Amino acid sequence: MTENPGTDGAVLLELRELSVRYRAARDELPAVRGVNLRLGAGETLGLAGESGCGKSTLAMSVLRLLPRSARVDGQVLLDGEDVAAMRWGRLRAVRWASASVVFQGAMHALNPVRKVYDQIAEPILLHDSDQRPDEPPAVRHRVHELLDQVELPAGKAEAFPHELSGGQKQRVMIAMALACDPRLVIADEPTTALDVIVQAQVLELMSRLVAEHHIGLIMISHDLSVLASTCQHIAVMYDGEIVERAPSEQLMRAPQHAHSKALAAAFPTIGDPASRFAPATSNPLPEQPSERPVGEPVLRTEELRVSFRARGGRTVRAVDGVDLEVGENEIVALVGQSGSGKTTLARTLLGLQRAESGRVLFRGTPLPTSTSGLRDYRRQVQLVLQDPTSALNPRHSVYEAVAEGPRIHGLTTDEIGRVTRALEAAELRPAERFMSALPHELSGGQKQRVVIAGALALEPAVLVADEPVASLDASVRGEILALLLRLRIELGLSALVITHDLGLAWNIADRVAVMYRGELVEVGTVEDVLLDPRHEYTRSLLAAVPGGTHRAEPANGLRH
Amino acid sequence: MTPTTDETRGVRAITWARRKQATAGVWREFARDRGGLIGLGGLVLIVLLALLAPVLTDETALEVTNTTAQPRQPPSAQAWLGTDRDGISVLLLVWWGARVSLLIGFSAALLSVFIGTAVGILAAHFGGWLSTTLMRFTDFFLVLPTLVLAIALSAVLPRGIGTIVLAIGVASWPTTARLARAQTLTIEARPYIERAKALGAGHRHVIGKHVLPAVLPLVFAHTTLVVANSIIAESTLSFLGVGDPSRPSWGGILQAAFNSGAVSQGAWWYLLPPGIGIVIVVLCFTLCGRALETVLNPRLRGQR
Repeated sequence: MTENPGTDGAVLLELRELSVRYRAARDELPAVRGVNLRLGAGETLGLAGESGCGKSTLAMSVLRLLPRSARVDGQVLLDGEDVAAMRWGRLRAVRWASASVVFQGAMHALNPVRKVYDQIAEPILLHDSDQRPDEPPAVRHRVHELLDQVELPAGKAEAFPHELSGGQKQRVMIAMALACDPRLVIADEPTTALDVIVQAQVLELMSRLVAEHHIGLIMISHDLSVLASTCQHIAVMYDGEIVERAPSEQLMRAPQHAHSKALAAAFPTIGDPASRFAPATSNPLPEQPSERPVGEPVLRTEELRVSFRARGGRTVRAVDGVDLEVGENEIVALVGQSGSGKTTLARTLLGLQRAESGRVLFRGTPLPTSTSGLRDYRRQVQLVLQDPTSALNPRHSVYEAVAEGPRIHGLTTDEIGRVTRALEAAELRPAERFMSALPHELSGGQKQRVVIAGALALEPAVLVADEPVASLDASVRGEILALLLRLRIELGLSALVITHDLGLAWNIADRVAVMYRGELVEVGTVEDVLLDPRHEYTRSLLAAVPGGTHRAEPANGLRH
Repeated sequence: MTPTTDETRGVRAITWARRKQATAGVWREFARDRGGLIGLGGLVLIVLLALLAPVLTDETALEVTNTTAQPRQPPSAQAWLGTDRDGISVLLLVWWGARVSLLIGFSAALLSVFIGTAVGILAAHFGGWLSTTLMRFTDFFLVLPTLVLAIALSAVLPRGIGTIVLAIGVASWPTTARLARAQTLTIEARPYIERAKALGAGHRHVIGKHVLPAVLPLVFAHTTLVVANSIIAESTLSFLGVGDPSRPSWGGILQAAFNSGAVSQGAWWYLLPPGIGIVIVVLCFTLCGRALETVLNPRLRGQR
């Protein structure tokens, strides 16, 4: 099954024993080790793996887009021609005309000072010798045709990138990639920065275009379900090698290699009882008591409203009349698209943002307004941010980062003991090993644990976590979620977890609140909301979860 | 109480070991820049010589009444750099002048950097009307011609080193303020500030623990350049005759030389030494400052 020429038998891309090493200060770091790969014309292949596994390096080596410090061994044959042996002029001709790239992060890959039209026209003018710049009608026609293909109105040609939404920018990137009718498109994490609904639209668009134009596609992602919904085959990369390659459906259903299993398990199927209260972790969770006392609400909002003054004097209401409760010993997931006001709500709960009207109550008492009152309040309610790398001061050691909270609150007795306990509660063991480390010496998951330990050092009652796993790798994701769940079971810590990921809610939450344009449209237990959604918006969120149909269907009929 | 002190000692040991390591890293980077090393070496030598002037030379030789040599003599075995209009050795004058020039340069730079950093950080941290007021204030001083302000101040206030320091310091802080403000704004946009606030941190904690440690290295690199500018400003003011007449400074020597007709008489030995002194000290400071900037801002490294 590994060697599968395309429908018309032609081999579009072939990698033979490809190895890439990066020259570092002293030694050489291998990024790709001896990869063999064949892609037929019109075939689609998903490349899955965690950050640092070499998947982007592999993809960029096809067009020799690697930095100078890279040393490439082996062969890359594009349409039977060795890319490494190409002269500079030939390589330029091949780039974009034969194979093109949809880069990661559309907001950074577009030039902010040029119009969309000029950016799409650029490769056409560079490559098609019969369409010189003095023949603009043909070029203009082609650009409009491309915009039409990616379902953007022709008027957007005159727009600048900042006038477009994230999804529209990604569509422009795709139009650019298609500009010269390439036979191979490499898409590097094309949907990573997009939220679920837009992601679903972009994936659908890519699948359609690839099928219509008979283009070969290599799509890179860390999310197997994204790949499964667009690609025929999936190759799983681990530590520079392809460890498994199989048809998507087969890989999703019965992954063979341990690493593929971990990747497949990281994103749970909503409705699958096996993953309910069981995030993928190597560390078994403690048994939880079947009957839990229904606790008093610890944190409660009443008719909370928050608005911002936008440019031009307009007021934008980010949170509009929200009533939300987080009970004792309970995890509540707050889900919604980006821009729905989730983060603003979290900041208001912590007193970092002033509410326009309404109240935040902690154990029945309103959020204090005085400086010292707020400080005492923040001992009880703690925040965990999305990106642990930027949430830690790069100059502070782990010890200082964790001890920061206790020092602010004057809890100076037994500081080492407090920090040790917090680190061990966050599963950084032995704590002594991590204390003197600086953030850049830790992995992403370890950094997030340090952030959580910093919150735990204050022994809070509620944790507000804003997208705690969004910037982490799939395998780490399960571990961090398990940690949150374990903290709830062992310490009785309540949590409000903000996320766009419905699978996360299924993994750990007791209740779900769905937020749409600043309002809570649906609140209820996880089973009620996710398996039997009432509101139209909840349904569209669920429908956008990628790869839902590729997994074992739950008995209770969750159809997309 | 014993366990607490033991514990704090343990924590401090960790912190100190890391700081030592960081300092060693900065030094290694700095030492790679040959220009920076030359500048630092030159500065250390000049500062040492200036500090040791009372030990190595006799201050009384600066008194006109104690001179025995002829005035305006070219360099010779007795006076290596010749003599001035009163017969005092130019070498001795320049040597002692270095003390005044360096003292004023350092003090004025310190004053200017202190005002600038405080204004910049406060404006950026608190924002709102305080920021608007402080930055308008900064803009006002920024467009004011430095020299005119300094001359006006030293003309109004009693003559002396203190006045010169104040005049230069007050006139030159706005650039530092802008720099500190910009850096504070970038630091405050980082999520770890949000995390600190969520932990309950007040203004003092955020500024003291997060903003200052990130702003100071940059300000420190900038200070070396400010010192160079202050030395030039001091020489200019002294040359224009608003300096402290009782003690020789490089600008003061130049003024004396100019007034006594050293130019028309071709007494190059009277004019050149203080001028070269200014150039060397300023060059050393600039070299050091550039090297430090490169260490602190890795993006500049490729352009070496």
